[in-house]
Amino acid sequence: MAKKRKIIAKKKARARRVKKVLRKAKHIKVKTPRYVLNSNYEFYDELRNLILKSSPAEIDRMITKISGLGKVRLAIISGLFLNESTGGEIADLFIVGDDINKDRLRSFLKALEAEVGKEIKFSLMEKDEFQYRFGMFDRFVRVLLEGPHEKIINKLGI
Amino acid sequence: MSKSKTNGRYSLELLFGSKARIKVLKFMFRNYPGDIDIKELAVRIQETYPMVRKEVELLHSIGLLRKN
Repeated sequence: MAKKRKIIAKKKARARRVKKVLRKAKHIKVKTPRYVLNSNYEFYDELRNLILKSSPAEIDRMITKISGLGKVRLAIISGLFLNESTGGEIADLFIVGDDINKDRLRSFLKALEAEVGKEIKFSLMEKDEFQYRFGMFDRFVRVLLEGPHEKIINKLGI
Repeated sequence: MSKSKTNGRYSLELLFGSKARIKVLKFMFRNYPGDIDIKELAVRIQETYPMVRKEVELLHSIGLLRKN
């Protein structure tokens, strides 16, 4: 029994030594290359114009993700997502819905911000509040709906 | 004139023949002059590492991307 324990202890010690060596090896690993755009590329300006005209995120995937957050009645994109400088001061993304899963919402926004590479101005309202505000021409709702925007989910028929 | 089937949404992806390639390009242009390694880029644009590596290597081979 004691012998067996001794063997186990020996094996564990060996494993620790191997781990130590591996840890050291990690440090001397070659640095992974970092890439950057080469502005001397022949069609750099043309390509830049083309790419920057497109929406920064995939709208279709956004719709799927937003639909899964809860009872979503309305989702509006503006500002950043439409490459508009205006509209963004109100909200880049505006969602109206009930029973929204806050954890899922948080991770969705985090992933979206990572993809876009910028902070997203986001706003959420419950359906009742939105309809009240919509009915009384609330400033927030008015500015958003009068400016450049796109309703990517619209179950309210507005 | 007929309306496009995809609503114009994936026109660049279809034109360039790769969704991942367009995502890499979008990210690089929007974050210019930032540099990034393939692993982090894959996480940020939510594509797989092999896919992103393939596209980055292609863009590097034509000279649009350079190693920093």
